[in-house]
Amino acid sequence: MSKSVYFQGGTLVLRDVGEEEQPPAPFRLIRERWRCEGYHYGPLLPELREQSIRDTVPRWQTLDLKLQEKREPHDYQVAALAAWDQADRRGSIVLPTGAGKTFIALQAIHHTKRSTVVIAPTIDLLHQWYARLVNAFATEVGVYYGGEKKVLPLTVTTYHSAGDLMADYGNTFKLIIFDEVHHLPAPSWGEAALMAPAPMRLGLTATYPEPHEQTNGRWSLDDLIGPIVYTKRIEDLVGQQLAHYRTQRLRVDLTPTERTQYDADHAIYIDFVRSQRLPQRYGPGWLMELMRLSALDPQARRAMLARQRLVRMLGGCEGKLAALEGLLHEYGDQQILIFTEQNAVVYDIARRYLVPAITHETHAAERKQILEGFQARRYRAIVTSRVLNEGVDVPEAKVAIVLGGTAGAREYVQRLGRVLRKVENKQAVLIEIIARKTLDEGKAQRRRPQESKTTSTDDGGKE
Amino acid sequence: MLTADLVRPRVRSRGSELSVQMLDTHDSFWLQTAQDLIALLQQHQGQSLAAWHDLLEAYEGDRVDYLVVRGLAKVLSDAATFTPLTTPLIPSQLRERLFAYGPVFAAPQHLFERQARYEVIQQEATELSLLPEQLETTLFADRPATYTLTDVGPAWTPEGLLARYNLELARGVLYWASQVQIEVHSNYKDLWKYLKFFKLMFWARTHNDGYLIDLDGPISPFVSATTRYGRQFAAFLPALMLCDQWRMAATVHPPQLQPGVYRLDHSLPLVSHFKRSGPFDSRLEANFAQEFEEKFGGERGQWLLSREDEVLLLGETVMIPDFALTHKRSGHRILIELVGFWHPDYLRRKVEKVRAAQCQHLLLLVYEGVNLSADALQDVPGEVLYFKHKPVLQDVMAAVKAIDARVYGPPVKKSRKRNADDPAPKKSRKRSVDDPAPKKSRSKKKQEN
Repeated sequence: MSKSVYFQGGTLVLRDVGEEEQPPAPFRLIRERWRCEGYHYGPLLPELREQSIRDTVPRWQTLDLKLQEKREPHDYQVAALAAWDQADRRGSIVLPTGAGKTFIALQAIHHTKRSTVVIAPTIDLLHQWYARLVNAFATEVGVYYGGEKKVLPLTVTTYHSAGDLMADYGNTFKLIIFDEVHHLPAPSWGEAALMAPAPMRLGLTATYPEPHEQTNGRWSLDDLIGPIVYTKRIEDLVGQQLAHYRTQRLRVDLTPTERTQYDADHAIYIDFVRSQRLPQRYGPGWLMELMRLSALDPQARRAMLARQRLVRMLGGCEGKLAALEGLLHEYGDQQILIFTEQNAVVYDIARRYLVPAITHETHAAERKQILEGFQARRYRAIVTSRVLNEGVDVPEAKVAIVLGGTAGAREYVQRLGRVLRKVENKQAVLIEIIARKTLDEGKAQRRRPQESKTTSTDDGGKE
Repeated sequence: MLTADLVRPRVRSRGSELSVQMLDTHDSFWLQTAQDLIALLQQHQGQSLAAWHDLLEAYEGDRVDYLVVRGLAKVLSDAATFTPLTTPLIPSQLRERLFAYGPVFAAPQHLFERQARYEVIQQEATELSLLPEQLETTLFADRPATYTLTDVGPAWTPEGLLARYNLELARGVLYWASQVQIEVHSNYKDLWKYLKFFKLMFWARTHNDGYLIDLDGPISPFVSATTRYGRQFAAFLPALMLCDQWRMAATVHPPQLQPGVYRLDHSLPLVSHFKRSGPFDSRLEANFAQEFEEKFGGERGQWLLSREDEVLLLGETVMIPDFALTHKRSGHRILIELVGFWHPDYLRRKVEKVRAAQCQHLLLLVYEGVNLSADALQDVPGEVLYFKHKPVLQDVMAAVKAIDARVYGPPVKKSRKRNADDPAPKKSRKRSVDDPAPKKSRSKKKQEN
């Protein structure tokens, strides 16, 4: 009988190796089988060879990839890639958002020419990677997440779905790219990295976790991905890549009817929150507490509903929509992004002004078509409820209009500011529309971007 | 299945024990709620999903039990069907055409030489030979919100809906389960099928006349609190309720709560909606059983034929022979497996299992037409008998007697319990095809005690 090792559900299992034998260290005897996590595969290879254990793990392929993108990499991108190569193609590259991490990843895939899976934090980013890979290599690309599950030698997935992908197809990828790798220590997010046998691993992030955050007791980034192989700070890159942008805040009034409704709902809501002293008693998580109480206490339930009504109203109040229309007129010849967190408002705007919408309902193909149409200036505006988060590529946007008042909007303002890129040295503008004397204002205060060096805030322009 | 947010608030923790708050299916208040929702759905036929959500929101009003209302509604809508409208052209294609004009406004915009919205719609409608209204309804007709209710699903009774909701709650708790242990004592035939169907990894051993089965997955030993397999456990749970006597203990890690043990057993009024399989898997088996009863059954027969009453534990898988013959006096047991007209892959796996079982008192009845050479069956421990059209019962009984003599020796008085005590000596390990690692048959005795 010949000893061998095979891949099963995220683990490596030895075949025909007896209980009395002593296979390499990570293997543990579990229910009569020697088994260990997939990620040991690379480091284990020499020992397996030594013990004449035949390797039946890999199902990955050599790919004939041609990089269609002719753009020359920046010096720091070349250096980053070389550092990763030297580290046996394991480890993380730390670069500020907007510095072209995706481009480095494409180069890495092109260099290695092996079956690769990219793991992204959100479905939005998955879609973006999908589009980039299709364009870069002019080849079919697999997509694996809740809605679509198609596995190909180049595949994109999310951290959420990566575990399932690895359980079933872990041994079909030789290279894994972990986008926003700082998410990895999160309890369920690291499982994919743990289960995958892929010997080549590339982590990408702008914010590498502090040492105490790199491990969660079960795994550390170092074990799963390798060390940091290259770092460049934001100060080193300003002017070279990142855009300057300015923010404006546009304040609008509620109509008298809206005002009456707002005041009534606000009273119901705030009276309960104050009487229960929720923020004082529960700290930042007090809204969760309100939600919990709303399933027990009729007053809490009414407060919650009142809050829901006023948030809904603020999202699509007449003043904001009128201001939006004004801005669409004003910037009619520019590429515009419109953000609001409420799906219903997105589709209202899309229908009213005949502009494409991106929401969680938008499928990969149409999403790609919309973003490309936007880039080609066939579409002048996009309205979206998605926080085109963490480095989403919208280089053409010169104007971003945010219908404020929600947590999503806050995130959007912060993120988008970082990704508006400098094209032809023109400055991008980010306009936030908020309703006067409402919850919006309190939020807007907290949300003031702290971008220091790369941004300048101009608050007064549009009163 | 319910979404986690509809389950989690109903999970309670008490010491190391977890429970989920179920509904009393006789409570008139809940029966009324169930009745209301069933009626609402029935009246909703032909209307949109968005309107269904509005209707539910209105029905909820400011009720604090809104999570229950939503849970019941989820059970209803999961079993119902909402269908997209048929449109004169594909909505995404229409969008691609229309959105190239945007942003447009109610009035034409001369500065940027842009038409008014109504002009765009009119122009495109003419070009597509459609009416402007058709364009408006087509524009987002592929959004699920616009789908209309075409099938309300099964005829729910209020009690039935409450019971099903309770079952879904129990399943929901398992979303956060890292591992599950079950104990079954009778009527467990379907259990094994469903375990395989839901691709669960299991480890079974005999226990108090039944089985103790651990469920988890390959990565579980390395990530102790993984909830990776929770959805599979949840999907599987109704299969457990097909057994008459069962118990379950799951280690559960619900968010924001201390991990704990969630227990369920057959005394709870939970009803499975899974189907029990029929007594026979094939005509061949049915005929065999019938012929046996006619010729060798009844009072005067020496052997008692039973259907799939014994499980051969093969570590991570099991084999359940089609029939068992029990000698009325000696209690000797002979197992019979019918190998009929099957796909070659299935046959290969079957043979591997038979080998792995290392079972001396097994009789294989093999259809000659199948592509299974005598070679393949050479080192199978039991006996093999070939047949052309159907097994010849005379020959079968002769073989049974031969096995009886070979395995149990000349008749002596001795009581046998079950096959776990099979006297067959342990042989060298064999490899099976469906699961390539070495596996051993009934070697778990040490662990049992």
